[in-house]
Amino acid sequence: MPLFKKLFDWLEVRIGVRELAEKELTSYLLPRTINVWYSMGSILLAIFALQVVTGILLMVYYVPDADKAFKSVTAIMNEVPFGWLIRLCHAVGSNMMVLILLFHMFSVLFMGSYKSPRELNWLSGFILFNLVLGISLTGYLLPWSQLSFWATTVATNSVGAIPYVGGYLTEFLRGGKLVGPPTLGRFFALHVALLPLLIASVVAIHLFLLERIGVSSPPFGQENSANRWEGDRFRYEDHPGGIPFFPNYLLQDMTSIFVYLAFFFAVVFFAPSIFFPFDAFSPANPFQTPAHIKPEWYFLANYQTLKLFPNEFIGLMVQGVAMTFLAVLPFLDRGKERHPLKRPLFMLCAIGGIALYLALMIWGHYS
Amino acid sequence: MKTPHRLRANTGTVAPFLFILTLPFLTLPPLAGAQGESVCVQCHAAQSGRGAIPVKPWRESIHAANGISCSDCHGGDPKDAANAMNPAHGFLGAPQEVQIPSFCGRCHVGIKEDYLQSAHGRALGKGGPTCVTCHGSHEVKKAELELINEKSCSRCHSYDRAARIKAAMQETEGMIVAADRKIHGFRKLGIETDAYEKGLYSTRNRYHRLFHDVDTARIVAESARIRGEVARLNGSLGVIDEALRKRKLAGGAAVGLALLAGIGCYLLKKTYD
Repeated sequence: MPLFKKLFDWLEVRIGVRELAEKELTSYLLPRTINVWYSMGSILLAIFALQVVTGILLMVYYVPDADKAFKSVTAIMNEVPFGWLIRLCHAVGSNMMVLILLFHMFSVLFMGSYKSPRELNWLSGFILFNLVLGISLTGYLLPWSQLSFWATTVATNSVGAIPYVGGYLTEFLRGGKLVGPPTLGRFFALHVALLPLLIASVVAIHLFLLERIGVSSPPFGQENSANRWEGDRFRYEDHPGGIPFFPNYLLQDMTSIFVYLAFFFAVVFFAPSIFFPFDAFSPANPFQTPAHIKPEWYFLANYQTLKLFPNEFIGLMVQGVAMTFLAVLPFLDRGKERHPLKRPLFMLCAIGGIALYLALMIWGHYS
Repeated sequence: MKTPHRLRANTGTVAPFLFILTLPFLTLPPLAGAQGESVCVQCHAAQSGRGAIPVKPWRESIHAANGISCSDCHGGDPKDAANAMNPAHGFLGAPQEVQIPSFCGRCHVGIKEDYLQSAHGRALGKGGPTCVTCHGSHEVKKAELELINEKSCSRCHSYDRAARIKAAMQETEGMIVAADRKIHGFRKLGIETDAYEKGLYSTRNRYHRLFHDVDTARIVAESARIRGEVARLNGSLGVIDEALRKRKLAGGAAVGLALLAGIGCYLLKKTYD
């Protein structure tokens, strides 16, 4: 391949690509005991890329105008060649992104990878989780369906429960007293410009931290699974004798991405309706509240929590406290041990927390 | 360099910021609770005697499913307990037997006309059946062919003619229900079904009007015409079915290719390992 070699040599003498490739790929060593859970981040990057590509394609035909939005989405699904595939990939992909993000967070939790010196990795990941929920919520309104209209009406209403500033915040979010065309404009701008930029920036910070601090060793398969960080000075956690990122772990990443894609395509082609309630295909009608509307599965636990408390503000506070606790967990959990089976209190709290989350989600679905 | 002590101290600064940051994304409150129950239901449900009887059947009825509440039939003010049963606020109460067709016919206009022209309607007030005889009052369900059954019809007359009518309508009912289910399934996939829904709605209405006729020959002829219309509709739906079948074939190929690529990567990785 003389052309490729010529290009490589051209770049080599200018930016030293050989050294760069060696440093970042072939000599970038990962722990020998690394497992499949470490590839969740790569799957998430692939999903984010797919969301960006499908989102740009959708923008070609989508009209962010309250009078035309629903019709444009219907046209994408029925008239635009392969429009149905692009839209289903985008809609199913947003759900998958939340699901894989949860798996990624759980694996980091159970392997104790959030512990010092990786507090910032955890915090940036936690901010990403919230940004992904935010981009999902803003994207939900864009089809201007009954489901999206009423979900946004109630979601923005609940912000009004915050004392003193609630009313102003609600009006600010909606761009008026009620959900209407200005809300669509705001949510569209947030969904296609601000939030993707923020997500890309925080992903860059997250990856920079990973690169700068080094990959954590899994606590499994070692005699001493305690955190070795001493806290006296900065040290890059290297893994002498480990496996190279290229080709070994890149192939593991690719395996995970393709297995994910198989599952993703199975949902897109065979069961896309699991993510679309019936009201998702009726145009928004501000004068008719649907009777049995439910939020997306990842908000069901929040939905049920709010219903458990007589006062909406208390419900919000409880969720805020729980999320804040999760955000600052690395600053609170200072224990050295990382193996989940050697941390019984942590295991009890983590499994209890996940069980509670799932129970609230199921309860919310059937309530 | 930060010591653990300083890190702990910083937690107090970070936490409120995060709390505010996450608040807007944490919430999606009760949507189902957006529609409150009327004072009629609140009061009657709390009763223990005769007054509580209508609540449960109504909650399970087609009326409740379509948002038709007590005041839509009985009048009154559903938001004001003091005036909920005040005639000055339009409260009608329960109708007398001969008033029932007019009571229900305020909404079901065409069906009222059919009923009044039928033998059933002509016997109104002379021992003939009213709407609630067959449909019930508060427990009213979606009109289906099962409403014509030996147990119900034999209360007043022999079942022979009703059985012939039911047999003539059976196939038509099956076709309409199947087409409706298919359209519903297409709609859940985001396929534009407005034209099909409107067409079937009109056909179904004509079919439902046959329910209140007792002229067997007319029912047989009209049922055949309706079946023809549904068959034409099924032809159009078949085109969508075929497109969906092709999509699934493509989907199967995509899933298979992704799995093959995954297996390939895994085997290659094993080679390097």
